[in-house]
Amino acid sequence: MAAGPYNYSYIFKYIIIGDMGVGKSCLLHQFTEKKFMADCPHTIGVEFGTRIIEVSGQKIKLQIWDTAGQERFRAVTRSYYRGAAGALMVYDITRRSTYNHLSSWLTDARNLTNPNTVIFLIGNKSDLDAQRDVTYEEAKQFADENGLLFIEASAKTGENVEEAFLETARKIYQNIQDGSLDLNAAESGVQHKPSTARGNALNSDQAPSKEGCSC
Amino acid sequence: MMAGDNDAGVTAAPQQNNPLARKLSKILETRLENDKELLEALKALSTFFTDNSLRTRRNLRSDIECKSLSINEEFAEAFGRVKEELDDVHADVQAMADCCRDMTSRLRATRTQTHELIAKTTKLQTETQRLEMRASVVDAFLERFQLKPEEVKALRGTRDGSLHDNFFDALRRVKQIHDDCKVLLRTKQQTAGLEIMEAMALHQEAAYERLYRWTQSECRVLNSDLPDINATLCQAMRALQDRPVLFTYSVEEFSTARRNAVVRGFIDALTRGGPGGVPRPIELHSHDPLRYVGDMLAWLHQAAASECEHMQSLLKLVTKEGVADVVRQALAHITEGICRPLKVRIEQVVVSEPGLVALYRLANLLKFYEHTMTPTLTADAPLLACLAEMHDLGRRLFFSGLGARAAKLTERVELPPADLGATAGVSRGLALLAEVLESRDSSVARLDARRRDDLAEVVARVVDPLVQACSVSASRLAAVDMAVYMANSLYLIYTTLSLYEFTDRRLEMLQAQVDAHVDTLVSEQASHVLARAELSHVYAHVRAHAPKQGALSVVAGMDAASVKAAVGRFDAYLASPDASALPQCGLLVSPRTRETVAARSVELVSLAYAQIYEAIGAPENGYGDVNAIMPRTPAQVTKLLS
Repeated sequence: MAAGPYNYSYIFKYIIIGDMGVGKSCLLHQFTEKKFMADCPHTIGVEFGTRIIEVSGQKIKLQIWDTAGQERFRAVTRSYYRGAAGALMVYDITRRSTYNHLSSWLTDARNLTNPNTVIFLIGNKSDLDAQRDVTYEEAKQFADENGLLFIEASAKTGENVEEAFLETARKIYQNIQDGSLDLNAAESGVQHKPSTARGNALNSDQAPSKEGCSC
Repeated sequence: MMAGDNDAGVTAAPQQNNPLARKLSKILETRLENDKELLEALKALSTFFTDNSLRTRRNLRSDIECKSLSINEEFAEAFGRVKEELDDVHADVQAMADCCRDMTSRLRATRTQTHELIAKTTKLQTETQRLEMRASVVDAFLERFQLKPEEVKALRGTRDGSLHDNFFDALRRVKQIHDDCKVLLRTKQQTAGLEIMEAMALHQEAAYERLYRWTQSECRVLNSDLPDINATLCQAMRALQDRPVLFTYSVEEFSTARRNAVVRGFIDALTRGGPGGVPRPIELHSHDPLRYVGDMLAWLHQAAASECEHMQSLLKLVTKEGVADVVRQALAHITEGICRPLKVRIEQVVVSEPGLVALYRLANLLKFYEHTMTPTLTADAPLLACLAEMHDLGRRLFFSGLGARAAKLTERVELPPADLGATAGVSRGLALLAEVLESRDSSVARLDARRRDDLAEVVARVVDPLVQACSVSASRLAAVDMAVYMANSLYLIYTTLSLYEFTDRRLEMLQAQVDAHVDTLVSEQASHVLARAELSHVYAHVRAHAPKQGALSVVAGMDAASVKAAVGRFDAYLASPDASALPQCGLLVSPRTRETVAARSVELVSLAYAQIYEAIGAPENGYGDVNAIMPRTPAQVTKLLS
């Protein structure tokens, strides 16, 4: 009972962005279901998935918002950046255009999230190395210049998918440990659950702050 | 000894038949030193026979006998003493026997006496065993059908209202006992069963009551951003599922707490934003209607997803059916609180006349979220109703706005411009339509029947007035000008619409209208050519002529000379057909329409020529050689013109 699937100390909110057809939904599906979803339909607006992971002995629930890549959903998906603790920016290594659009996605991500949001660049479809259109080095350089974490992954084979999601979580957790991420703020994208599992204690802790914001 | 030997000798082997010899040999064989008896006798004899004399030898026998006598006397004396001793012993034994006999009889008496006692004892022992059995049965029964004091205590709870650690175990036991009683009722122990059942029912009710109060107070405080739903609470919900009313109340209590939390979170997101103002408060974007409303709805969508998870984690141990429905209902309740602040803001935006396109996109956005939220909520959820209402409001305002704009654009009758192109009003109307339809591409609503109808209505609201306006302004024009003007205007509308999906039927209608005007132009063009060559009256006569009227050549104006002159003028047209084109046809915007008009008018002209040629060539018409009058065959004409 103590280690049930609903017990976790943190919730991290992620957002997955990138051009249409780069495999955002497949990455999410691979991460949450450990399966490759062939002929995945276009995402309508936004969808979301969850999974509990463990970082440094802490159980963390990831709440992942998967956005539609189609331009017509841009206005809708933009609203989901707020309060994301992690942003996974995905391009397709076999389609150069998806790589070329990264700067526009990055601008959105920088403008619409908070400064502590961890942005992770993922070059998807690494299984299709024969059709590669963007070299690893080039993307790595782009990531370094913009201070992004970077990995090449494959939603089809599952290679590096876990790593990308976990590394992002590790980085966010590190930010919390550093104190650079303020947990008390409502929209930091991270929610912390006090591990002292007593409702009464929680109540007394919360009481003053509740009065403070009930205006 | 001798006799024995003799006996032996008699029975011995017959070859030693000489007794003397045998005796002798026997004596010879005798070994005195080996005969112990003899040695002893001799030794004893030597003790008193010391003087070997005749006298002594003679007295030896009496001596020996005397000695033997004295010895025997000693024996007799000794045995006499022994006998006395034995007599004493006998007396003693006799006494002991008496004693024993006495004791035996006493024992026998005692046994008869104790027999009853033993029987009694045995009976008591079996009784004891039986009782012990019953005691263990009773113990087992009590163990099974009664609560232990600590369990009762656990059920009673602590003074501060919190639950004892073993509360749920005790509750489970009460339930178990209650269920077991049903078995008991089927046996002879019905009274006991009923009584225990009653007692357990009382315990159960009290426990559930206590549990409910506890759950209620626990739920009430779960109104922070991230409620801490602990394991005990989950267990409580599982236990409460046996009491549907209490379960429902508890879920409602939780929902109410969450509802307040969500409203507070919403207001915070609107007015305070994230840490240090990043992300910025949503209301900061209230000048941008789409972003403002989009941000609010996205926040709501995310909050609903989180609340859904909270509900699920609260009810994770609940096993009864319909948990999903409970969650949906609770979510409907949780999100209800947000309806008012949301509605006020969206209404404000919608009513503030953000522009037609923005209105259209807002309506679509609301529709999208109504759709997105539907699976997580019940159909009658207030939030869905609110979104639907807002969508409807936006839609109505949009259509009335669109209608008003279209009406304004077309209210003044404009004169068609000199180039017979579309009027400015039509262009502006189409620009408006394009703008709206363009935004449809970037809208997010799913393409369902309703939206298709919406699109049809959008098109109808703009296109119908435009077409009407065109007809009105065209009404003062000459036929050719009117046809060109209408064809141009309709063509413009057609091309604008053809860029968008779901306009097929409208396009078909427009095409039919264009075709009608093209037909007019074609016949106008053809008759223009014939008129210029003055062939038109020849053609008219040819067509009107009936064989019974006699030869055609005698009809006034149809003599060979005038026909030949007309054909000559027609020849000039053949040399440069373009010169005879109607000037208005050049004003057709669409090159394809222009070509169609040209090609089909040429066709008509060729056809007319062929008919004339045939009539002139007919012998009964009396023209003579057709080639003299019409040097070119219809085939040649067609070839020249094509």
